[in-house]
Amino acid sequence: MGWLAAPAQAAGCTLTAIVWEGYTDPSFTQTFEEQTGCTVKATYAGSSDEMFAKFRAGGGRNYDLISASGDITERLYQAGLVRPIDASQLDNYSAVFDSFQNGRWNTFDGQPYGVTFAWGPNVLIYNPEAVSPPPASWDVLFDPEYAGKITLPDNPMTIADVALWLGKPDPYDLTSEDLAEVKAKLLELRPQIRKFWATAGELANLFQSGEVVLAHAWPLTYQQLDEAGFPVGSVSPKGKLTGWTDSWMIAQRSPNADVAYEWIDYILSGPGQKGVIEATGYSGATELGTAEIGAERAKELFMDDLSLHAQINMWQSVKNYDEWVQLWNEIRS
Amino acid sequence: MNTETMSVARMRRRPGLQLGLYGTLLPPLVWMTLLYFVPIALLLIYSFWRLESFEIVQTFSLDNFKTIASNAAYRRVLVRTVAIALGVTVIDAAIALPLGYFITRHGGRYRQLLTLLVILPLWSSYLVRVFAWKIILGYNGVINTVLLSLGILTTPSQAFLYNSFAVTLTFVHVWLPFMILPVITAFEQLPTSLLEASADLNARPWTTFRRIILPLVMPGVLAGSINVFALTMGDFITPSLVGGASDIMLGNVIASQFGVSYNWPLGAAFALVVMAIVFSGLAIVLRRGALETL
Repeated sequence: MGWLAAPAQAAGCTLTAIVWEGYTDPSFTQTFEEQTGCTVKATYAGSSDEMFAKFRAGGGRNYDLISASGDITERLYQAGLVRPIDASQLDNYSAVFDSFQNGRWNTFDGQPYGVTFAWGPNVLIYNPEAVSPPPASWDVLFDPEYAGKITLPDNPMTIADVALWLGKPDPYDLTSEDLAEVKAKLLELRPQIRKFWATAGELANLFQSGEVVLAHAWPLTYQQLDEAGFPVGSVSPKGKLTGWTDSWMIAQRSPNADVAYEWIDYILSGPGQKGVIEATGYSGATELGTAEIGAERAKELFMDDLSLHAQINMWQSVKNYDEWVQLWNEIRS
Repeated sequence: MNTETMSVARMRRRPGLQLGLYGTLLPPLVWMTLLYFVPIALLLIYSFWRLESFEIVQTFSLDNFKTIASNAAYRRVLVRTVAIALGVTVIDAAIALPLGYFITRHGGRYRQLLTLLVILPLWSSYLVRVFAWKIILGYNGVINTVLLSLGILTTPSQAFLYNSFAVTLTFVHVWLPFMILPVITAFEQLPTSLLEASADLNARPWTTFRRIILPLVMPGVLAGSINVFALTMGDFITPSLVGGASDIMLGNVIASQFGVSYNWPLGAAFALVVMAIVFSGLAIVLRRGALETL
């Protein structure tokens, strides 16, 4: 009967996760799979809403893990889809930066529901061969010289960035009048836009085929293009940055919670943090990660003093989100 | 065996035959019910629910349909989608008519081969064909490279890709076989004697085309039209791959409601609107005898 039992055991050790692109990159996921003998099966999501919807579909039984950004952590908790984190099951939990333990984005009712592991800003990415001098602010997107050479993410959260450009103090709390201003600004920008990008792969392709030279994007794209040897530059305009802080959260109904804890522990470890950082270009969240990548790289990624983290307007839940979606559809129609 | 014993034999076999007949009908019926009728019923139910603070509220309301009707942006997408679908249909018909005529009348011994060539693109992935257009129309694409090397352009043009022209062109190409096949079938059924009679009665070619050919191949054209129209109405991949910043179609709106926006009720309502438009198109062409000869 041994031949019957073997595959059954293997099937019990498949960790399913819904993640942002890069968070289960084979470069470091393979090590985990070899160490534990478990398979990691990941689905990429294009937006937080999609992630939430897919995670919830089927009563929250489809996935063990989710790499939730700050704009859906509370929603996941409210919907009862995630379980409290038992820190005693994580050897590396104490290495998480102090200010990230019990971060307000994943702690509810005094209990941690997620483990912070990565964060970063949304940045301005450009092709230095076509854009000179190097841009310093988002205003370059409105420069007629680059008309039809610009791409923005196809995601309603982009509205928060436009609100920041307009000087709104809280880009996640916008009144209908604020939104009307944002709409006017976006309509002004629309003729400049070649295409709205949906996936990081598509975005890299837009750069490589010469269709665009400027993008509002994740640092992931900088990393991908740089690795491919394509000329690329990245700017983080001060004070005008949105970004995300991502947490691993475990499904309330996860049948593989033990493996999920093992995975989280691995990602918090030195090699795990280094893996995520190298695959995505995002900043890590643990002292072990800082030690692994070295002081110099840690300084580049603002992991030593977290001064950038404090400055970024991190994605949050938006109350009138349906209005945001509606506005976005109007821009896209 | 004389006719009398044959009909007796047939009558005796009938009950068993009927049972077998219904028996063979059962599997497809179950299949259709589970995988087609039930999902459509679910879609219908969802479209009358609504979304409130990320929760689907299961009470009857017409909110979604009101939103679709009252929102200028959605109306614009609706009108654009129908316009593109009609445009693609007309262009495909205009290409298929002369092509179908040529293949059936002048194809000779190459007729089979030519028909095969028409179907051949269907053997490659739909995505591959759409991506091929990206390569042809792109900034560093085939057309721009040719125009640059001929000295017609000095810098690559952005006019070819990421706009409604690219969307229409791609649709016209990928759906063309679905128009040509029924048109060829219609031409094959067209008796040559009628064309000869028309010519004998001194009708000019244009008159023959207008009064003899067109009415007789019309059912084929209409059948092809409903194929092309329905396929275009529901598609979201082509506009998202070759369309620009403001060329989304109903398919994209539906995909985003079920995906990024998580508003399944509104998405379901949009899907029903698409179905209603396609079915009314179907009803119109059926009344004009689209499927009678096929």
